[in-house]
Amino acid sequence: MTKSLRKIFHQWTGRWLFRLRDAEVGEIFLNQRRVFILPTRAGLAFGVMLIVLFLCSINYSLSLGFALTFLLGGCAVIDMHLTFRNLAHLHLRPGNTQAVFAGEDAQFELHLSNRRKHDRYAIWLNFIIDDAPAIEHVTDITADSTRSIALSTPTQERGWLAAPRIRLQTRFPLGLLRAWSYWQPAMHVLVYPQPEENGPPLPLLDGAKASGYGQAGNDDFAGIRAYQAGDSIRQLAWRQIARIDGGALVTKQFEGGAGGELAIDYSRLPRAMTTELKLARMTHWVLAAETRGLPYAFHLGGSHFTPAVGPAHQAACLGALALYENTSERAA
Amino acid sequence: MSFMHKISPTMATRTTRPMSRAKADTLLLLFACGLILAPHALHLPLWITGICLTLMVWRGWITFRGNRMPPRWLLLPIAVLAMGGVYLTYRTFFGQEAGVAMLVLLLTFKLLEMHAGRDLFVVVFLSFFLLLTTFFYSQTIATALLTVATVITMLTAQLSFQYAEAIPALGKRLKLGATIFALAAPLTVVLFVLFPRIQGPLWGMPADANASRSGLSDNMSPGNISKLALSQEVAFRVKFTDPAPDNSKLYWRGIVLGEYDGRTWTKRPSRDQANQKIMWTPRGTPVRYQVTQEPNTRPWLFALELPEAAPLLQNNRTGITPDFQLISERPISARVRYDVTSYLDYDLQANQTRASLQEWLELPASYNPNTMMFAAELRKQTDDDLTAVNNVLKFFRQEKFSYTLQPPLLGRNGIDEFLFSTRAGFCEHYAGAFVVMMRAMDIPARVVTGYQGGQMNPVDGFMTVRQSDAHAWAEVWIANRGWIRVDPTAAVAPERINRSGATTNDLPFGGLINMNVGANSWLSKIRFAWDATNNGWNQWVLNYTPDRQKSLLQSLGFGNIDWRTMTALMFAIGGVLTLLIALPLLANRRKIDPLDAAYIKLVKQMAQRGYPRDAHEGPRSYSVRLLASASKLTQEQKRAIKNFLIIYEAARYRPLEKSALPDVLSKLTSLLKKSR
Repeated sequence: MTKSLRKIFHQWTGRWLFRLRDAEVGEIFLNQRRVFILPTRAGLAFGVMLIVLFLCSINYSLSLGFALTFLLGGCAVIDMHLTFRNLAHLHLRPGNTQAVFAGEDAQFELHLSNRRKHDRYAIWLNFIIDDAPAIEHVTDITADSTRSIALSTPTQERGWLAAPRIRLQTRFPLGLLRAWSYWQPAMHVLVYPQPEENGPPLPLLDGAKASGYGQAGNDDFAGIRAYQAGDSIRQLAWRQIARIDGGALVTKQFEGGAGGELAIDYSRLPRAMTTELKLARMTHWVLAAETRGLPYAFHLGGSHFTPAVGPAHQAACLGALALYENTSERAA
Repeated sequence: MSFMHKISPTMATRTTRPMSRAKADTLLLLFACGLILAPHALHLPLWITGICLTLMVWRGWITFRGNRMPPRWLLLPIAVLAMGGVYLTYRTFFGQEAGVAMLVLLLTFKLLEMHAGRDLFVVVFLSFFLLLTTFFYSQTIATALLTVATVITMLTAQLSFQYAEAIPALGKRLKLGATIFALAAPLTVVLFVLFPRIQGPLWGMPADANASRSGLSDNMSPGNISKLALSQEVAFRVKFTDPAPDNSKLYWRGIVLGEYDGRTWTKRPSRDQANQKIMWTPRGTPVRYQVTQEPNTRPWLFALELPEAAPLLQNNRTGITPDFQLISERPISARVRYDVTSYLDYDLQANQTRASLQEWLELPASYNPNTMMFAAELRKQTDDDLTAVNNVLKFFRQEKFSYTLQPPLLGRNGIDEFLFSTRAGFCEHYAGAFVVMMRAMDIPARVVTGYQGGQMNPVDGFMTVRQSDAHAWAEVWIANRGWIRVDPTAAVAPERINRSGATTNDLPFGGLINMNVGANSWLSKIRFAWDATNNGWNQWVLNYTPDRQKSLLQSLGFGNIDWRTMTALMFAIGGVLTLLIALPLLANRRKIDPLDAAYIKLVKQMAQRGYPRDAHEGPRSYSVRLLASASKLTQEQKRAIKNFLIIYEAARYRPLEKSALPDVLSKLTSLLKKSR
């Protein structure tokens, strides 16, 4: 009961007080209405100290005591403005993201621009994730400069992961007050399924030859790859070797033809497996095929990719795996 | 607290770098604490100062070497021992002096037990509190300046701990600390002037409050006043409304001493004291003046002989005793200011009967036999009291009496020795001996102590009366004349009374070096200027009482202001001031080019008509769209818009000479009007 009440309260304060909003596209300007400020615990203690100083000054008729009390009070007021200024009027821009596998930490790059003439110090940033203490990152931003920092958050599920809400806060300079602001950047990281650990070997069409990578075809020249022990001398790409400084060996690669064709196909996996397990195994196979440089065809739901190998192919396949039957939508 | 793990690791780890950041921060904090503790060394017992110094050096050494902090089991016994020492010294844990000692020890021990960010704030807050307690002992301009320096250092130390990534050089941080102070200063002044003041004390003051003040005491024995003679401390300051009387007439009456036990003169036990009707007749013209009296922790006030009435004090009843002392109900523990009117000519109790004055004739038996005999001889020469008085004065003047601050020590029959053998003394010797002789001659007499003279400061017109002006004289009662003042010291050392004021600071090194400065030398001018500054400080800063506050606001034209209006006024002025300070800090607007301003105006106009500019549109594509689609606009308007945008584009994107700018702008404005 109290928990739900608290939740309602939090929602209400979030919406009405802190004006939390949906993801914001593009550069954000932290205007005055977006920055909130309240005393810290130390600030409250400072207030109590001021009251004690004041009472003491009255009791002993200490004129300079009054002056000291008022001076320190004035310093707190100035500190409030400086703390506010340290955070307000900052320009925030989302940066690049890179896809990760579930279980890894997703990195969100953020650009913070200070277009003012004063340096900003000790601005702490962290994601706000329910029930998880997010690690705070701290950064200074000198006058007229931009700092990029990467905040990370652990991933669990495949699909698009939207950046959690970010809280920026600062207590600089005196630590008596804390100014903070919220920012929900429109940023997404594509989370691939977690590859199956110790999964079965690649499902080569011809099971008997599954152990050899030489199965890659010999008909069509498909490119080159690094030499691996056991490659035939006839397959070495001499012309390319001559061009490479240091003379590292590279091997010509062919595809098609007689070599057993590798296909990673969702529908051929045993029915008893769960969808997620199937996806995990396919992910594992995609990675295995890529490490061995084997071209592979890929079939998953509506996605059908002809056999190929390379980063673009891998990304397309993993992307398809990540978003298979995924209900979570990526905001435009 | 994210702050904690910032300090704590560096406290314990040994780093190889010459001076790590946290070390520098901690040393700065130690320095700031040292600045706060140093003034307390002046009044704390030596052992506490020693302990504090040792602990601070220890702490500095730990920080410098990057050693571990001492464990609690080591600190605790030392702390308990120190607390015990405080109890043994002061016999209490409470009260002002013991409290300050405890706070000082607490701060130094806390420095050795500082682990987390929270502890930093404890240290800072304790320091600020200790800074306030400095004012128990001194509130001079120098103290204020030191306080300002300390506050800036403390703020710098505090903010140094807040840096997380890069830390600027100390100079830059000090500048930030000083900036915070400088920005807070105007607010401080507003609050100081306008915050509704409440007259203290709120609770009972500890008995030892202001114990260190010096001043006249309520008894007189040889040495009491001469002790004060070297003190340059200010007793009170006077601002005369009427012309100041001659220096030789400035007798500031303080305490009347009537009881003599052979060595010490004391006050008569008080009987139905204050506000008894005293018969006296003022004569001549009154002298009006205002006295600003320094706190002396005694319940008496000073006025020229004789004041017309007891002055009024805030929250403190005053009265006049039958022997004409100005007294207050409670001790003067804060600087007070009061207006007095005095008549320098008067008849005091002229019609009293001789019988009612018996108490002023009492002498202790079997003391000073030679004096008694001598007095009896003198008495035989005349029946007239006044002549008898003059004979005694003549005796003082004609015999080889000398006036000195270092009189020889006197034995049991001190007056005998003084009158007939040593013949050297200070005003207290003369006044005491004189009154004893008077009483021996059956003339009612009493000792009056107070101050004599004063130094007029030509810079601000205030007269300063210092402790060194403390004086003792006698009063004798003559039939039909009443009590008249007799100053036997004047008979011996007339220069003591007639001095013009510049010779107070004499007799250092036993008078070997003459430090007298002429009234017109540059040295005395500096001294006068400094005195005037000090007095202004006292009048306007230290003595800014609720009364003063009211009268200041009245003189500024706010009328009789109550605390609500005052609070409102404070918030209003403080708010405006804060705004003035904050606006440049937060100022957001970049200067907009006047050309752009005109363009923005046009875009706004068009947006109101329903043709807002799209984010991607430049002036040209916007004008094309406007001219093509805006059917609501007249041809003339369209032409104006077209011209406007052509001129704007040309001026914006082609190099424009500065001299051409006003011309272009006026064109744009006229076109802007047409397009409306």
